[in-house]
Amino acid sequence: MAKKILKRSDLTKLVASVGKAGGAFVAPKAVANGLVEYVFIKKADEIEFDYIVPGKSFKEANFPQTEVVARFKNDPEGVTVEGVELNPPRVVIFGARPCDAKSSESLNSVFTWDFIDEFYTKREDAMVTITVACTTGDNACFCTSVGIKPDDTDGSDLLLRETEGGDFTVEAVTDKGKAFIKEEKAVFTEGKATPKERTIFEPRKLDVDLEKIGEYLKDTDHYEGDLWADMARKCIGCGSCTYACPTCHCFDITDEGGFSETERRKNWDSCQFDFFTLHASGHNPRDRQYKRWRNRFMCKFNIYPGKFKTKGCVGCGRCVRVCPVRLDITEVMEEISGA
Amino acid sequence: MKNLYLPELVTIEDITNEAPDVVTFRLVFKDEALKESFEFKTGQFGLYSALGLGESTFCIASPDTRKGYIECTFRKSGRVTGALAAMSVGDTMGFRGPYGNAFPIEDWKGKNLVFIAGGIGLPPVRSVIWSCLDKREDFGDITIVYGSRAVADLVYKEELAHWEERDDINLVQTVDPGGETPEWKGKVGFVPTIVKETAPKADNTIAVICGPPIMIKFTLSALEELGFSDEAVYTTLENKMKCGVGKCGRCNVGDIYVCKEGPVYTAAEVKLMYNDF
Ligand code: SF4
Ligand code: SF4
Ligand code: FES
Repeated sequence: MAKKILKRSDLTKLVASVGKAGGAFVAPKAVANGLVEYVFIKKADEIEFDYIVPGKSFKEANFPQTEVVARFKNDPEGVTVEGVELNPPRVVIFGARPCDAKSSESLNSVFTWDFIDEFYTKREDAMVTITVACTTGDNACFCTSVGIKPDDTDGSDLLLRETEGGDFTVEAVTDKGKAFIKEEKAVFTEGKATPKERTIFEPRKLDVDLEKIGEYLKDTDHYEGDLWADMARKCIGCGSCTYACPTCHCFDITDEGGFSETERRKNWDSCQFDFFTLHASGHNPRDRQYKRWRNRFMCKFNIYPGKFKTKGCVGCGRCVRVCPVRLDITEVMEEISGA
Repeated sequence: MKNLYLPELVTIEDITNEAPDVVTFRLVFKDEALKESFEFKTGQFGLYSALGLGESTFCIASPDTRKGYIECTFRKSGRVTGALAAMSVGDTMGFRGPYGNAFPIEDWKGKNLVFIAGGIGLPPVRSVIWSCLDKREDFGDITIVYGSRAVADLVYKEELAHWEERDDINLVQTVDPGGETPEWKGKVGFVPTIVKETAPKADNTIAVICGPPIMIKFTLSALEELGFSDEAVYTTLENKMKCGVGKCGRCNVGDIYVCKEGPVYTAAEVKLMYNDF
């Protein structure tokens, strides 16, 4: 049977139809010279098709950089507390990459182990992830080295592959994806034959062994030693790598506003900042930058796979691209794999 | 929608000034039903908010055997604790919890107990002490070693006087050399030294310690010398926390999330942790 097709020219219809049903449409857009980001779009002609991965992942759709969780009012009658009731509209993510799609599993694993953070789950439930398999990439991409393929379906509701003609073949991955095709059947058409698909990108393969890295990190003695200080000497603690990372889940909780009316917010935070773990007493368990960098590595290759049973690193390469001092995590991965 | 970050409102029913900049609040839930149903286990903690300014993490310092209220003891040190300390009886604040694991005191039936605390490390231990004292017949000998830098810094002074009077508790109080006053009747010396001097017997005994990291370190070796096994020594870890529910990612010691898997650990467990304190 021939695969279903989504014509590029039908995206106009799709964007309009999703909007008409009250949903939002997120897609890559060239927001500045050379910078592509996932943003809410209103019209299909805003969509950028020539991108590797957008600057930030689409995690902002299910884990916004800042979000109100409660509101307080302080007046002479007393204090009132009101929790935010989330009722997110459908959000269609178009043009996700398999690495980012996979990262939803990671975020989900943190936000649902034992306690369930409904600010995350409600948004995720309302999301339809339409991934476009990668036909382009760069030297920072390394998904195949962490067990993901540039046309993997994990975490996607639909997987699209570009055809030579610029349209997309459609693979329904989840029930949610199937239902979406049914709802939007006007744009998911069926031809007689499947058109020729473009070749999938082949990222560079690192000389890494995730199991070996995992074993290395399991040994608490390996937390000591000069390796970390040596490897992370350059790090200036800017936090860019963690903000760009699709699996980073850390946040701060702050009350913002005046004393009479305040919002309690969840705001992205980063383990690369010195204040992150600073105790009220003045003691800081991670008082040096290399200790903070070590924590990030530990988080990605021990805590995520060990505790949460998901991937801490999806190989999107963002941290490698954004680091102002070119501290390349893949070099540390290779070093430890060879240790 | 279930909102993990929404605090419950509590009223400050009583305030005790314990030491310079250290206060104890007695808190009662505004919601009558919650006031009745609220339960926790000794060792658990909560997030207390000065609504509009933010949250701070403290242990629940009252025993789990007393219903209808909770207490917390904290030192005024930052924006939130400063705002809390400025509040008065009758004021409203926020509470989220209880979170974390607890001291397994049910498993300690029939055993002798040694409580060791330094300075502001007494509040979590005090919760355990009273939880055990309220079931006094379940336990053997009870020894408490408590020390602080100076006499003025000792917290729960009234309770210390009460424990001193009871003949079913052996209370040993100490202050660091130089911290004594002319009236001071207790010991002078650092907590680990006084623990060694007091020499509680290790046989069939559980020890609970809490205090500054340096005190814990040396007390652990003192207990080891006295023959305590690492499995019989409990402590509660402190770390910076924001969510309390395993999401915000900042309380981990290596691969351990203190807010979820702790804060109570045996010395044996602590020794297996990454050097990330
Ligand atoms: S601990 Fe650091 S590396 Fe891990 S999720 Fe949080 S910010 Fe990212
Ligand atoms: S982006 Fe580079 S310099 Fe900035 S915190 Fe990450 S590793 Fe350090
Ligand atoms: S306090 Fe947020 S993860 Fe532990």
